[in-house]
Amino acid sequence: MAKPGGSAETLIAEQYAVDLARPLPDAGAGLPAYAAIDRRGGAAPLMAVQARSGAPLRARMIAALSGTGIEGLCAPVTCGPAPGPDGRMALFVICQAPPGPRLDATRPWSEAVVIDEVLRPVATALDRLQGRHVTHRGIRPNNLFRAVNGGPVTLGAAWAGPPAALQPALFEPPYSACCHPAGRGDGAIADDVYALAVTLIVLALGRNPLHGLDDEAILQRKLELGSHAALLGTERLPPLLGDLVRGMLAEDPDHRPTPILLTQPSVARSRRVATRPPRRAQWPFETGGTEVWNARGLARVIAHDPSQGAQLLRNGAVGNWLRRSLGDAAAATRIEDVVPAHADAAAGGPTGESLAVMRAAAVLDPLAPLFWHGRALWPDGIGPLLVAAAQPGPGGAADAAALEELISTEAAASWAALRAERCDVALVRQEARQNRMWLRLSGLEGGMPRLCYTLNPLLPCSSPLLDGQTVVRLPDLVPALERAAARPEARRLNAVDRDIAAFIAARSDTNLAHELVGLGNGSGEGRMAMARLRLLAQLQDRFRCPPCPTLARWVTEECVAPPNEWRNRTRRRQMHERLDALIAAGWLPALVELVDDAQAREADKAGLRHAEEAVRAIDAELAALATGAGRRTAAARRLGHEIAAGGGLTAVVAAMALLCLA
Amino acid sequence: MKAARDRAPPRRGASLLWLQGLLCGALIAVSISTALLLAALLLPGLAAVLLDREPGRPVARTVLLFGVAASAAPFTRYWESAHTIDAALGIIGDPMALGIAWLAAGFGWALTEFAPVAARLVLEAADRRRIVQLKAERTAYEEEWGLPPQEPAGD
Repeated sequence: MAKPGGSAETLIAEQYAVDLARPLPDAGAGLPAYAAIDRRGGAAPLMAVQARSGAPLRARMIAALSGTGIEGLCAPVTCGPAPGPDGRMALFVICQAPPGPRLDATRPWSEAVVIDEVLRPVATALDRLQGRHVTHRGIRPNNLFRAVNGGPVTLGAAWAGPPAALQPALFEPPYSACCHPAGRGDGAIADDVYALAVTLIVLALGRNPLHGLDDEAILQRKLELGSHAALLGTERLPPLLGDLVRGMLAEDPDHRPTPILLTQPSVARSRRVATRPPRRAQWPFETGGTEVWNARGLARVIAHDPSQGAQLLRNGAVGNWLRRSLGDAAAATRIEDVVPAHADAAAGGPTGESLAVMRAAAVLDPLAPLFWHGRALWPDGIGPLLVAAAQPGPGGAADAAALEELISTEAAASWAALRAERCDVALVRQEARQNRMWLRLSGLEGGMPRLCYTLNPLLPCSSPLLDGQTVVRLPDLVPALERAAARPEARRLNAVDRDIAAFIAARSDTNLAHELVGLGNGSGEGRMAMARLRLLAQLQDRFRCPPCPTLARWVTEECVAPPNEWRNRTRRRQMHERLDALIAAGWLPALVELVDDAQAREADKAGLRHAEEAVRAIDAELAALATGAGRRTAAARRLGHEIAAGGGLTAVVAAMALLCLA
Repeated sequence: MKAARDRAPPRRGASLLWLQGLLCGALIAVSISTALLLAALLLPGLAAVLLDREPGRPVARTVLLFGVAASAAPFTRYWESAHTIDAALGIIGDPMALGIAWLAAGFGWALTEFAPVAARLVLEAADRRRIVQLKAERTAYEEEWGLPPQEPAGD
């Protein structure tokens, strides 16, 4: 947990300090990196890679690899917030430091060195990653490091951002390179094998074979020619390396050799799967000044502009070209099978068009990602994409709207069903339904914020209340709110806003569900304020957070109604006195017990009823006394006469007694 | 009309008066001196009986009781003598005996007049004390439970 700023040193996980005075150039492979110090005296050199704002960390990878110490890999150790070089809080991933500078890709490397010191160690590390069901997605020459005196290379860090977000199109398979950088998903280990193959080419050639081409041009070239031809063209590699690279660059990831096979290059060479280049049409499909020669290219063209693509599907241009030029009647028939139902809907709006185009693209290119409203993504990249769309900048709102529509229509499930042989349809459908449920969840704990935090487990809470503070874990929330409560401008807002509610909902278990529902069910400000108090009290109690008197005052100011609901003024005064004492103590569960005591509240109501009845009886008796003069006079007269008669009788008795005595 | 008359209940007061008249007549017939002495001694009480029209005749009752109490001694003296007309006239002529009897009757009358006034004063004091007590209780309830004060009566 990061301690608040100030003079005290900020430690990540109570152990690691970021030494901002010792930057490590190039070690972060595109991200700022600094030396990190293990305060408990660990021997291994460490570095802290600073994540970009709005780029969620790879939580699953960090959790799976923490403390593993995989040889040949800058494995993550932990992560957490700490002050960055500009003084503002930032997220850092602590990982093992590289053994030396990054690889020099400006001179050709010999085949033996490439195989023995690059291929084998990287393949071994990838095999370890595959054993833990994780991927690297950051293999490129500037993310491989080697000791100054030589030796096997070490894979750099790729944990401080969405998977493959920093990978140039050169190192990514076409189905990944065409995606938004944040939406490439974790992918498969075969994608790391592809990136390793491109890295080997660059090292063997001593240069980038596609130097001078931008990412879009590289992607087009790969789609038209196939990756191997696009990258090597007429270039020649040593025989063993050439054969290995040809297999590793197979368009179908299932045809690429596994990492364990690559650790034995001669075996991998012998087991290479022969792949055919993509089928080329007799004449190109032309639309909007673009020519495509194969089905993959066509899939991307129609998906790039869904409106135009839907029109091409409806008017039969795509089917005709597939049959007559490409000679793939089966694909044409399949498109006609899956598209018509949505083609009719296309007349109704862009959602129908996008569904039709998405289905057609999945048929044309089973390897392709999910295309939606002109955007390409993998379903497991939706989380980082949502965060990217929420960042300020042009197109963010449109991206967010498109993603919301994608989730609400469960388009990922439809897409998976069309390529069942290449994904776990049941899993994708389940995740799509789950995402839709979170999106449609009413109240503060649902919607897009909930989805963002749920799909990005290490995404810091972006509530404006926490201005300047980075809260990643739930136990850090209450202390952060305690610091936020010191700001008067924050106190004008509710202590639990939509972002905080969604953050809690995403990070907590179902025990807090009742309080979360109470936050926004429109049951009145008093009840919602009580729900906020109960929620924060549970957090403080569960995570044993330190006392928070400022937050306690903030929350109880919102709950000012409950003490005043007490009708017994003595009890109310006592309540306020106890409230002040508990606020000063800063322990929220005790506050909840005080203001949420149903039994005492019922006793108060019963006391009120008794008091009202007593007052009514008093009023009636006072009224009777005020109007009882006549009755009183009659009673006095009657009583007086009785007294007089009694006196007379007494006199008679006394006289008789005297006579008897005389 | 005849039937209605037959059905009318006999008046209790009239029969009582008839009985009293019978007793008085019998007393006069048996001992005129005794009747004379009693009539003289109890004259204020008999007058009160005739004048008091209240139910139960509270004034006459008290005057008679005090008169009887004061007449007991002279009547005993008369009864222990020969209880002749002379003896009765002797006692009647005794201003001390007659005066005491009549003064006692007057005291009884005064008591019936002033005892209700005193009782009323006592009852009013008790009611005032009760009102103060009730208002204090109401004020306590108002302060403890925040109840509205009593609305002024007669507005």
